[in-house]
Amino acid sequence: MKKRLLIANRSEIAIRIIRSAHKMGMYAIVFQSDKEPDALYLKFADEIIDAHDADDEKPIFLNPNKIVAFALEHEVDLIHPGYGFLSENPDFVALCISKKLNFIGPSPELIRDMGLKTVAKKMAIEAGLPLVPGSEGPVADVLAAKEYAASIGYPVILKASAGGGGRGMRIVENSETIERNFKSAYDEALAAFGNGDIFIEKYLQNPKHLEFQILGDKHGNVIHLGERECSLQRKHQKIIEEAPSASVTETMRKEMGTMAVRFAQKIGYYSAGTIEFIMDEDGSYYFMEMNTRIQVEHPVTEMITGVDLVDWQIRIALDEVLTLKQEDIIIKGWAIECRVNAEDPQNRFTPQTGFIDKIQFPQDASIRIETGFLSGSMVTPYFDSMIAKIIVHGESRSKVINKTMEALNKFNIIGIKTTAPFCKAVLQHPYFKDASYTTRWVDLVYSPEMLEDPDDEMIGALAATIMYASEYLQLQGDIPAYENDALNVWVLNKRLNY
Amino acid sequence: MFIALRDNGKRYKIYIPRESNPVIDGNEQEIDFIEQEDFQYTFEWNGKRFHCELVARDQNKATVHVNGVEYKFSLESIFSYIRKGMISDAEDKNTSVQIKAPMPGKIIDIFLDEGDLVNVGEPILTLEAMKMQNEITADCNGVIQKIRVNHEQSVMKDELLVEIQSIDV
Repeated sequence: MKKRLLIANRSEIAIRIIRSAHKMGMYAIVFQSDKEPDALYLKFADEIIDAHDADDEKPIFLNPNKIVAFALEHEVDLIHPGYGFLSENPDFVALCISKKLNFIGPSPELIRDMGLKTVAKKMAIEAGLPLVPGSEGPVADVLAAKEYAASIGYPVILKASAGGGGRGMRIVENSETIERNFKSAYDEALAAFGNGDIFIEKYLQNPKHLEFQILGDKHGNVIHLGERECSLQRKHQKIIEEAPSASVTETMRKEMGTMAVRFAQKIGYYSAGTIEFIMDEDGSYYFMEMNTRIQVEHPVTEMITGVDLVDWQIRIALDEVLTLKQEDIIIKGWAIECRVNAEDPQNRFTPQTGFIDKIQFPQDASIRIETGFLSGSMVTPYFDSMIAKIIVHGESRSKVINKTMEALNKFNIIGIKTTAPFCKAVLQHPYFKDASYTTRWVDLVYSPEMLEDPDDEMIGALAATIMYASEYLQLQGDIPAYENDALNVWVLNKRLNY
Repeated sequence: MFIALRDNGKRYKIYIPRESNPVIDGNEQEIDFIEQEDFQYTFEWNGKRFHCELVARDQNKATVHVNGVEYKFSLESIFSYIRKGMISDAEDKNTSVQIKAPMPGKIIDIFLDEGDLVNVGEPILTLEAMKMQNEITADCNGVIQKIRVNHEQSVMKDELLVEIQSIDV
């Protein structure tokens, strides 16, 4: 009998997981949320569970009890959480396990440990990974924070022990403002995570974000699949990712990769995971944290290694042995992922909602499109703003940059503003081209004028004129020196040619 | 002819003639019209596609998305543009450009009428001098205000031929 795999997620990642499920001969089941009842991913599933979540406080994807109850009712074998939502919620995983549902991911203990940054750091120290100078564990109070900050030197960063997504995080430039910042970080962390523990670290002013993809099985085998660079971020969230990174030499790759594998082995990690590093301007790097889920940017790694990470996640959950050896992992070429988010890059990345009148993607053997939307789809305010990922593979970094530009030029979306023009501006920028860009690019370099293009502007003026003129002429009737129908004749002529 | 003025001060003079390509700032541009739907146009120019969407209109102000980036324009017909110009720089008064005869000769042909639109470099009339035909062209963009000569008329050097209401600042 076919195994039944339930996907506790939506949009592009649901479709991505369905693809793997079908490849492995499984039956793919998804939830239909009332918040998004016509979503594209529903069309790919073998079975749809009506979640009836219209009156619920949260959508189905954030409701552990309801997911598990439905899973039992529908005789599900495995649950894939995707990313976000409950993918790194240890209580949800424990609940699945207690009901004999096979959760695709690591154990709840591993997720809990990696979710608590102070615990993760302690384990990293034990595995011999370099750490940014910082407090070993939460600091007791404002006074202790002040003392410690003075000992490592400003600027420092305050972070919530249970935090993520920038919440409970404060950068402190000097001793005068640490008191105020400590209090607000504490309050924010307590409100957001129910845990007000704060630790302190030296703040790297202009760092790069690097991460190593690892795969481990339940039999102690762990390999790494090289690094991704995800330095291009706005509001601490990634927009463009690439693999490999131009800032990692072959020697460093070996060194950091070995560290990542050693760390995963030490904690007994299994499933797909990501070990994040932060790199300073002088090339020194430090362990940041471990993510215990499949990541949004996993396709860039898949493109350069040819390894299907979601397939392996499922196989590992089924207790299979990881047959890939480290020497099997060969990096071929370069890949870039651009996230097309429904956000206005001309207006501080404000989320956009509404109908997508038209969406057209570039098509090519070296381009991979991951999306949960099509023409006529609705972007709702209930979920994250990502509409699509455009992933491009090429022989070399410079070639893939050009190919990605071409791909973005062919991409068209009408009805909603997106980050696609922003991605184009990044790809054309000298700091991206020479790979010196850091996580501070948006703060230090970006201005919305970079999105503008003289050709676009001129054609925009023409379009505005045509629209204005056609109304104007209707109102004015006959005017000297201007044939009333001249405009329409041009438009008509042009249209007849196509 | 219309004037599209962007919010950053950039100005385009756009003329959409019958049965030819649009003329933008005096240059004819080979712009192809690919597709049109309500408030949406797709053009092709220099091998590039331009997806335009009109997202807001308020009287003569228009907001257009071109390939996903927003541009704001205010639009004027040339007549209202000139009228406004005349009101705002009343003391400057003369935006009128005079075209004078560069040499003595005879007017052979007049191509335009009063009230016609004219672009820089566009021939206005032919002046025959010493058995040579010389095309007298406009040296500004604007509207023909007054034609001071007639067909077959002989003119002296520096005699006033045509006055153009200029739209160039």
